[in-house]
Amino acid sequence: MEGLWGPAMFLVALILIFSGFPVAFVLAGTGLLFAGLGTLTGHFDPALLLAMPERAFGTMSNYTLLAVPFFIFMGATLEKSRLAEQLLESIGIFFGRFRGGLGLGVVVVGALLAAATGVVGASVTAMGLISLPVMLRHGYQREFSLGVIAAAGTLGQIIPPSIVLIVLGDQLGVSVGSLFRAAVVPGLILTGCYALFVIGTAAFRPTVAPALPREVHDIGTRRLVRLLLGSLLPPLFLILVVLGSIFAGIATPTEAGALGALGAMILAALNRQFTRAGLSEAMHETTRLTIMVVFLLVGSMTFALVFRGLNGDLWLEQLLTNLPGGVIGFLIVVNLIVFALGFFIDFFEIAFIIVPLVAPPAALLGIDLTWLGVLLAMNMQASFLTPPFGFSLFYLRGVTPAEIPTTAIYRGVIPFIIIQVLVVAGMILVR
Amino acid sequence: MVCACREDGEWRILGRNPAIYPIRSRDTRMRALLAFARAVGHLTDAVYAAIRWLTLVMILVGALNALARYATRYTGVSLASNAAFDLQWYMFSLIFLLGAAYGLRHDVHVRVDVLYGRVAPRTRAWIDLVGTVLFLVPFCVMMLLTSWPAVRNSWAVREGSPDPGGLARYPIKTVLLVCFALLLLQALAQIITGIAELRDGTTEPSAGESPGTPVPGGL
Repeated sequence: MEGLWGPAMFLVALILIFSGFPVAFVLAGTGLLFAGLGTLTGHFDPALLLAMPERAFGTMSNYTLLAVPFFIFMGATLEKSRLAEQLLESIGIFFGRFRGGLGLGVVVVGALLAAATGVVGASVTAMGLISLPVMLRHGYQREFSLGVIAAAGTLGQIIPPSIVLIVLGDQLGVSVGSLFRAAVVPGLILTGCYALFVIGTAAFRPTVAPALPREVHDIGTRRLVRLLLGSLLPPLFLILVVLGSIFAGIATPTEAGALGALGAMILAALNRQFTRAGLSEAMHETTRLTIMVVFLLVGSMTFALVFRGLNGDLWLEQLLTNLPGGVIGFLIVVNLIVFALGFFIDFFEIAFIIVPLVAPPAALLGIDLTWLGVLLAMNMQASFLTPPFGFSLFYLRGVTPAEIPTTAIYRGVIPFIIIQVLVVAGMILVR
Repeated sequence: MVCACREDGEWRILGRNPAIYPIRSRDTRMRALLAFARAVGHLTDAVYAAIRWLTLVMILVGALNALARYATRYTGVSLASNAAFDLQWYMFSLIFLLGAAYGLRHDVHVRVDVLYGRVAPRTRAWIDLVGTVLFLVPFCVMMLLTSWPAVRNSWAVREGSPDPGGLARYPIKTVLLVCFALLLLQALAQIITGIAELRDGTTEPSAGESPGTPVPGGL
């Protein structure tokens, strides 16, 4: 009986989340429900709930989480600055002369934008609007084009700076700066794998990704250089300000986020795209997402408090540290759970519900939590792409013409999800 | 009565949200309750309108803090201020604490809509009603009950900042109470409109909102 509280609570929360009622309140409500049941049967001390306001104050003054609205605002402002559009055009012209070049250009732009911002939506939207029509017009296969765009646009969440990594850093209790640093190489490897896939496809199936006709890309070297410089400098400037200052150790991620947000406004202004309406919309978006994220966190804190009060953490710890295969068994199970949940819920829920539960057992097993954070972020990359509820798929769906069936998008991302799984497996193997 | 969501033309709303559709009822008692619900809705939106610009202020304060810290490091003259440092997270707190009720009213809080997006509007209304009564209201009540002594203590000692020159803590802690009071009010408003909708069955989401659209603004 004693040992059943944890699993029961976990199961009930999971089932109730699927009712569709806001996840934050389901988690808090499930916590209270079990606090009540536990109190009645003498298994829970209701005085534990008095810790809630202190935890809420802790969230309010959480310096790491403060970076989240900064990076959201930065992404929203950049989205309106038309920076991504200009980058896609110039890189498209530059790479378009080669077979598969447009696809490769999308991957490169995806990685560049990823290093400049911490969000995913902006890149996918811009690529869907700018690159997709060009690719389709010049004979690119539909599924292939959609897949490249969705996958490359999602790179923003694994390549630092990234909101996913900030939230993971907070939940794992590791420094966001070191998490950013640790994510650079895996992020680049993933980008490389995408690029290899595009190049390989173009080499072996030329009809899928043909080169552009001469008149499209032949605009004169001078003009091309000017276009490339003009579009590359702004994102490089942002990368220098944000990532550069973090990696050089002169700014915390939060400070870099604030400066990046300011920088994005300045770039938008220089690009003559800084309007009152745009600013208002960016603030609106930032406020809404901040409300959503923080309340999800407060809800899951209530859940976690009661879960611990009922010794659910001990149950989970015992379960996860005694898996066959030890560390490898643990990593495989956790990654399978995260991957499976990724089909239905997005990374915020995973980060707030699953990560705090698996972090203590991971530490017990001697796993480096910074490395685990990168591994989980890599895994969650897939949750953005897995149908039917991947965020990137929605963004892409939102900007593609109606005659493109949603199933084409689903089919297009399959190879990239497979690449994703292989990279996660590779990370576990070479650990 | 015009619902107050008109200015939010850009909203894509997940599922349905009874509180923002005008609902009429033949029953006078119900009409009074609905008037209360609408008043709460206006209050919620007014609070949001007031905090909306805080985002920009927060960013500017954050950027100035960062620059001040660099300047301090390179000039040796201390320009960084604990008050300005506190101010940025006070803004952050105000934004999500005072925006929580708005989030409820306009369906900002993330849902898992695997099933929710596919069921009939009536079923969704039931899910929201039951969820609000069983989960949200008790949560607000618990937070109010547990925060009350903490906030009272903070006021009793006029709790200040642990850092020299930092901002006083008791006002911002009080906002936690305000947050859950507003959220509770909005939850009651949602319950009223939910019941009215289920009883009279008069409302349907207006055109342009497709149930089951994902929550916008993932990252």
